[in-house]
Amino acid sequence: MTQQDTRTTGAATSHRLAVQPGEVIDRSSTLDFSWNGAAHVAHPGDTIASALAAAGVRVFSRSFKYHRPRGLLTASFHDPGATLQVDDEPNVRAAHRLVEGGMHVSSQNTWPSLRFDVKSANQVVGRFLAPGFYYKTFIKPQRLWPAYQKVLARFAHAGVTSPDTAEGYYDKRYAHPDVLVAGGGPAGLVAALAAAEAGARVMLVEEEHHLGGHLRWSADSDLGTLAELTGQVAGNENIEVLTNSVVLGRYDDNWVGVVQRGLPGVPERLVKARAKVLVAAPGLMERPYVFEGNDLPGVMLSTAVRRLINLYAVRPGQRAVVLSANAAGDAAADDLRRVGVDVAAVVDPRRGQDVVRARGRRGGLSAVELTDGSTIEADLLVTAVGWTAMTSLLNMAGNRPIYVPEAARFVPDSTTMPDNVLAAGGIVGDGSLEQLMAHGSAVGGQAARRAAALRRARVATTPTSRGDIGRDGPDEQAAVTVPNLPLDPHPELFRAGTHGIVDYSEDVSSKDIISAAREGYDSAELVKRYTTVTMGPVQGKLELVNAVAALAEATGSTIAETGTTTWRPMYAPVTLGALAGRTFEPVRYSPMQPWHERQHARPMVAGQWIRPEHYGDPVSEVRAVREKVAIIDVTPIGKLDLRGPDVPKLLNQLYVNKWSKLAVGRVRYGIMCAEDGVVMDDGVTGRLGEDHYLMSTTSSGAGAVWEWVENWLQTEHPEWQVHVTPVTTAYASINVAGPRSRELVGRLTEGIDLSAEAFPYMNVRSGRIAGVDDCILWRIGFTGELSYELQVPAGYGLHVWEALLDHGKDLGVTAFGVEAQRILRLEKGHLIVGQDTDGLTRAYSAGLDWAVKLDKPDFAGKPELVWQHAETGGMRLVGLQPADGSIVPPEASQIVRPGQGATLDIVGRITSSRMSPTLRRSICLGQLDASLAAPGTDVTVRLPDGRDITARVTEQLAHVDPSGERQQLVTDVPEPVTAASKAPGPPRSPITPDGVPAAQPAAGGRAHAEVRIEDLSGLAKLGVRAAPDGPVAQALETGFARATRAADGSLVVGSGPGEWLVLAEQAVSGDVRARLESETGSPDVFASVVDLTHGRALIRLAGPRSADLLSKVCGIDFCDDVTPDGSALRTSVARLVTDVVRDDQDEEPAYLLHCERSSGRYLFEALIDAGTEFGIESVR
Amino acid sequence: MDIVSCRAYPGAVTDRARNGGPSSNATSGSNGKRTRYSAWSLFSHGLTTKDWPLAWRKHDLARTYDVVIIGGGVHGLATAYYLAKNHGIRNVAVLDKGYLGGGGSGRNTAIVRSNYLTPEGIRFYDRSIRLYEGLAADLNFNVMFSQRGHLTLAHNDASLRTMRWRAEVNKIQGVDSDVIDPTAIKKLVPYMDTSEHARYPILGALYHPPGGIVRHDAVVWGYARAADAYGVHLHQETEVTGIDVRDGRVTGVQTDRGAISAPIVVNCTAGWSTLITDMAGVQTPIQTFPLQAAVTEPVRPFLDTVVVSGTLHVYVSQTDRGELVFGASVDPFASYSTRGSLEFVEGLAGHVLELMPPLHKMRLLRQWAGLCDMTPDYSPIMGPTPVEGFYVDVGWGTYGFKAGPVSGESMADCIATQRTPDVISAFTLDRFTGGRLVGEKGAAAVGH
Amino acid sequence: MIQLPCPWCGPRNVSEFRYAGEGGHRPDPDTTTPVEWRRYLYMHRNPLGWTRENWYHGSGCRTYFSLERHTETHETRTPDSQVDATPTPENAGDAR
Repeated sequence: MTQQDTRTTGAATSHRLAVQPGEVIDRSSTLDFSWNGAAHVAHPGDTIASALAAAGVRVFSRSFKYHRPRGLLTASFHDPGATLQVDDEPNVRAAHRLVEGGMHVSSQNTWPSLRFDVKSANQVVGRFLAPGFYYKTFIKPQRLWPAYQKVLARFAHAGVTSPDTAEGYYDKRYAHPDVLVAGGGPAGLVAALAAAEAGARVMLVEEEHHLGGHLRWSADSDLGTLAELTGQVAGNENIEVLTNSVVLGRYDDNWVGVVQRGLPGVPERLVKARAKVLVAAPGLMERPYVFEGNDLPGVMLSTAVRRLINLYAVRPGQRAVVLSANAAGDAAADDLRRVGVDVAAVVDPRRGQDVVRARGRRGGLSAVELTDGSTIEADLLVTAVGWTAMTSLLNMAGNRPIYVPEAARFVPDSTTMPDNVLAAGGIVGDGSLEQLMAHGSAVGGQAARRAAALRRARVATTPTSRGDIGRDGPDEQAAVTVPNLPLDPHPELFRAGTHGIVDYSEDVSSKDIISAAREGYDSAELVKRYTTVTMGPVQGKLELVNAVAALAEATGSTIAETGTTTWRPMYAPVTLGALAGRTFEPVRYSPMQPWHERQHARPMVAGQWIRPEHYGDPVSEVRAVREKVAIIDVTPIGKLDLRGPDVPKLLNQLYVNKWSKLAVGRVRYGIMCAEDGVVMDDGVTGRLGEDHYLMSTTSSGAGAVWEWVENWLQTEHPEWQVHVTPVTTAYASINVAGPRSRELVGRLTEGIDLSAEAFPYMNVRSGRIAGVDDCILWRIGFTGELSYELQVPAGYGLHVWEALLDHGKDLGVTAFGVEAQRILRLEKGHLIVGQDTDGLTRAYSAGLDWAVKLDKPDFAGKPELVWQHAETGGMRLVGLQPADGSIVPPEASQIVRPGQGATLDIVGRITSSRMSPTLRRSICLGQLDASLAAPGTDVTVRLPDGRDITARVTEQLAHVDPSGERQQLVTDVPEPVTAASKAPGPPRSPITPDGVPAAQPAAGGRAHAEVRIEDLSGLAKLGVRAAPDGPVAQALETGFARATRAADGSLVVGSGPGEWLVLAEQAVSGDVRARLESETGSPDVFASVVDLTHGRALIRLAGPRSADLLSKVCGIDFCDDVTPDGSALRTSVARLVTDVVRDDQDEEPAYLLHCERSSGRYLFEALIDAGTEFGIESVR
Repeated sequence: MDIVSCRAYPGAVTDRARNGGPSSNATSGSNGKRTRYSAWSLFSHGLTTKDWPLAWRKHDLARTYDVVIIGGGVHGLATAYYLAKNHGIRNVAVLDKGYLGGGGSGRNTAIVRSNYLTPEGIRFYDRSIRLYEGLAADLNFNVMFSQRGHLTLAHNDASLRTMRWRAEVNKIQGVDSDVIDPTAIKKLVPYMDTSEHARYPILGALYHPPGGIVRHDAVVWGYARAADAYGVHLHQETEVTGIDVRDGRVTGVQTDRGAISAPIVVNCTAGWSTLITDMAGVQTPIQTFPLQAAVTEPVRPFLDTVVVSGTLHVYVSQTDRGELVFGASVDPFASYSTRGSLEFVEGLAGHVLELMPPLHKMRLLRQWAGLCDMTPDYSPIMGPTPVEGFYVDVGWGTYGFKAGPVSGESMADCIATQRTPDVISAFTLDRFTGGRLVGEKGAAAVGH
Repeated sequence: MIQLPCPWCGPRNVSEFRYAGEGGHRPDPDTTTPVEWRRYLYMHRNPLGWTRENWYHGSGCRTYFSLERHTETHETRTPDSQVDATPTPENAGDAR
């Protein structure tokens, strides 16, 4: 058959009607798509299902369990029969998804073909497939179950995914509407208008592609009203309309998830709305009727028929029987007659009539058997037997619906509704269109009033706001009377005399439910789990009430007594892509990153940091350190700037060792334990000045230690005078290690006497290095070699790094990475917290006995260490060397000894192991049972391959140079000559380290950019700490959460309680600093100024859409009354802690974003990505 | 709806299984003799229209029981079953404030494994796997235990070291697990992004072939039906409102259906366990945190193994009918709420797509939450308490389901023999004040 | 996403905060007994209902504060008087 033929036959729109007044298709053009391989055409506006139905397709899929043919039932998103595969996308809702040209659509769950499906054999044996039958068989023999299982898996329902599916780009944003209206039917439309007119910012969400709800497929007169309402909504700037969007769920504090579909370039977007008031106006869903054959293609709900006719101009059948118990059914019969369908009979339960069963032939309805004994030939059976109120949103808000037998449906319980949730329209009751609209209008007004009150409270409690709620809100006190909606009487119609399908997606029949209940699974939850009723893709929307009715029938109780189960999100399925959105994973780079990249260092992910693992050959890097000199980038080492008279008290509290007598210029190694005595972190702390210390922590522990320190200061010892400032990336940290290190450092250092006497081991000095002032120089050694750790103002880090390499060429200087450092520290026997210790290792088990000072009055974890000290036994950290030095037992190899019988006892494990390039043999650290920890003891190590080897406990932890001679400065080193180094030039930006923007903004396909982004990291940034209400605060004239411009042009930001950030042009920074120091200088006030210029990145966003951009990466409400110009706040931006300052420029909103330096590049790139939609331009 | 959906597809396959049941003399149900489940009984029921007998009976509350078990989940029902089966103690009541298996038993993601870190943990969970392997035959109820293999991914050298640690201890304990490399992982899970460019590159994984999933509701119903056959009374919709303690020993419980006197009361609850221990005046180091989970729409099965990533806080498995079942670590703050949160599914989806990027078009169908009793050392609290006759089987954190059978067996031993069996001796309540925390805390790994 | 009322910043999303546990009095390390100390380290009240607990606003003002929260409904209210937010097993654990 040629393509042409297929079209004329397959898609000769044989069932397409003449133009209908409310139709949504554009007949002026067509789209080509394919259905199970055959070519089809559709009109723009057609759903996949309407286009196929217009072509005469009746069978869309096969059912889940019995593989019975299924056609359209609801002709809406939730149609269980119309779930299809579109290209590589499974489970597409074909009665909702619009046809796009070139789509390849196919049926799911059919083999070999939709027409002939071998699995339909299940229908024959169906009577044996009782609910839960699979629990009752495949029991023995057990070993065959996996085989059965493989067979069963073949029956798996639904579409297919592909490992080749390309990554998708999804979007997310936050919203802060006063009123969110869920449902764009008449009541929702009017509610939105009423709320907006009362001054509320409204978000109106509609699941369908158009607003209007049932008005769209009702009488012509309604179409007029509809046009009027939608016109008003479109014209109201206070209303944001989201069509083809659905509210997924209502969570605590009215956190409402909304998915927006079909946006240009973005398949789905998740909107996270903090709604002050949620108005649920979802309307009613028509309920199917249970009888034999009720799932045959051709059996449809009245709403499905009216949609097909009035929206898509599709003739649903040729000869119809209409089962009508309400006005909707009668209207469907009228519609059918109007378009020339032969309505063979209208069966009216209101007059005691009913159907018995539907008979099928060739995969579709052929006849309907009635209670009067007659049988009527028909290819269409329309049922209109009642409604289900979509109460799920209210249920998620804690409201349990109550059953009203007279109306045959559940309705919300108005007595248990939270104040910030309201219900409008059909979900509440029935009535004329006028009544529904009156109700919606009153609810909308009430929503606006409640929202205004909440907004007022919000503004009052938000320090950035100026206390006024900007717009004149409605009278919040005014009493509103919401008119009652009548509940029209409706016959209780759930099941005819015969049994039929209750859950179409799970193939569960009324008979299944009843027999499950009689088997003991007799509560709503148990029967659900046992039969799987309501657990399929439709999630109970269609079938729940029929299921409850069947259960009530079986247990002899009423529907009200039986009750329903709890609704959980999602209201409608949502893609993983939309939920994930952009993944915000902050990445941190050191200032030397450009050099590492140029050298093709192997990157190593260390938490947020990307570090060089090595530059090609870690072993030669180790040799360079032992024999010559080499440098390593250790910027990620955590650094806390500690100032104040009580720092020694703090250190004594935090560390197990003593700190009272640390002289200025001295450095000490310290161990921190948690309150349970378990080793938590370690590092060196140096005293830079009288009241000024610099603490270093492990790179992974930096954040936790800072919180730990704040915890002690804020909660246990608020009386201590200490200011803590994290300065980890204010400095680039470079460790220069090796016998020639002093020579190299000397060549670049000015103003520091490096002689052994003037600058001994474990000391710290500050001075000028490679022309850079304010550098800090530590003489410490993790590697066990003579080494100096340089702390360089970060903007000059790359300069100093390159200067060291330039000036050390003749000394053979090279760079070394983390792997070489690990080997070196292992040779030296330095432990790594978290590797050589674990979550239970207390200080004495870490070989730190020498450090613990139990005679101190108190320190964190002291009691546990007192008790551990008294104990014998437990684990000890020891050095180990395998007898065969060529074998390196992998880390985590277990140390064992024979136990009872054939078993082995585990007595320890290898925590670190490497081949030592220096000793040319394998070396280890390990945790070992104290009874075996004596030096010289031989132990058995079980290798992963099962071999056992012998290892001996060493004298000390250090394998190389235990006495520490290599760290001493050998006296005969010639006095170094200071070579003139290149001028540092201007400091480098963290965002554009090589002078070029880290990311080039994409225009976003827009003529002009609506947002401009600028790197302002060059500005001077000074951190000020003092009492929030003291003289310094007064002198700065800036309160918490506000930003003000000082006379000298600097911007003073109240960035935290007792914490200020002052931003100034470099030119004036000197004066500003002088002024601040004079203001904080007085001896009787405790205040401090820390220069953060190098430690932070600064970005400005400006332009009309800058707030919209921020709403994609930040949960703060950036509207004028909550965050007016001059607001300052610290929050999470793209999951990065960021100071945000609103600093409008020439009548245009502008925001300063200030974050920790090493993440500046990440934030810049995240902002540019988020700005694509608006067009974003990078300005210098 | 808040229900775990983890079950095999009901296809029609005939089976020559011979009959077998927990107890020959057991009676059951409305119609006298117990009907054994088998392909034959299915077939004969298919031919007739007669109902299946009740899986378990309803009873009036008796005045006295030898043992009252609080909590009708896997742990409580298994304890009752083994008390009756192994120790002949049948005058037992199981009380549940809701329906059977409505708590953690019905909300977990049904993952079973034994690749723990400590010898005591491994021995314990390995016994559980052995019991699961024979459970269907033992209970005459197919619990659909599917040993499809269990992967725990390592994204950095620290977690790779922990995986190696677990593997080595496992091997010494005779448990099948080992560390495998990204190539081997890719072979097991073709959808996995094992490239080096991933934000959190996969460096390796702990592979544990005996691990897998089981149909959790079936385990509950199987134990309930088998316990009922032994004469155990199952009381649903029966809430305990108080525990009677006289002179330091338990004498009974108060319920909303009346008082029961009993010399032995066992707390087998999860989530609300501290509310019960409070009634007896016993203090525990337990804090309740929600654990959330979610399930997607079904797609054709493509994922055979269970995949866990501690670094990304996510675990994934696919049911036989094609749904992906997701779980994560517990919520960030203590709570008794089972409402669930949007941020949970956002993070979950993000992490799943980090691991398997091609899945972004799959749709999340439903989310739910259960309550977990977290202890300081990621291990349960089992055995006697300072109140004589009051036993606890609590503190199950996020790993209670996989321990159901062995917990029931050992608690039954503990109660019947009045001594704490070795297999749970490490888990007694007094270890906390005694400073003998269990080493599972050593690696502080998320345990799923 | 629930919101917590930060005493400095006003209502913020809970994701900006770190839960710092129930708190409790830190025994005198010189006189304490193992039982008392480990009770402080490990034991919890864990009530179903209103409880007083500590939070750290790590993504905001970086202050520790205590709060009354209902453990089932998640409603919050500011306590009449601030209890001391002693380090607890939770934050000790997090800091490890």
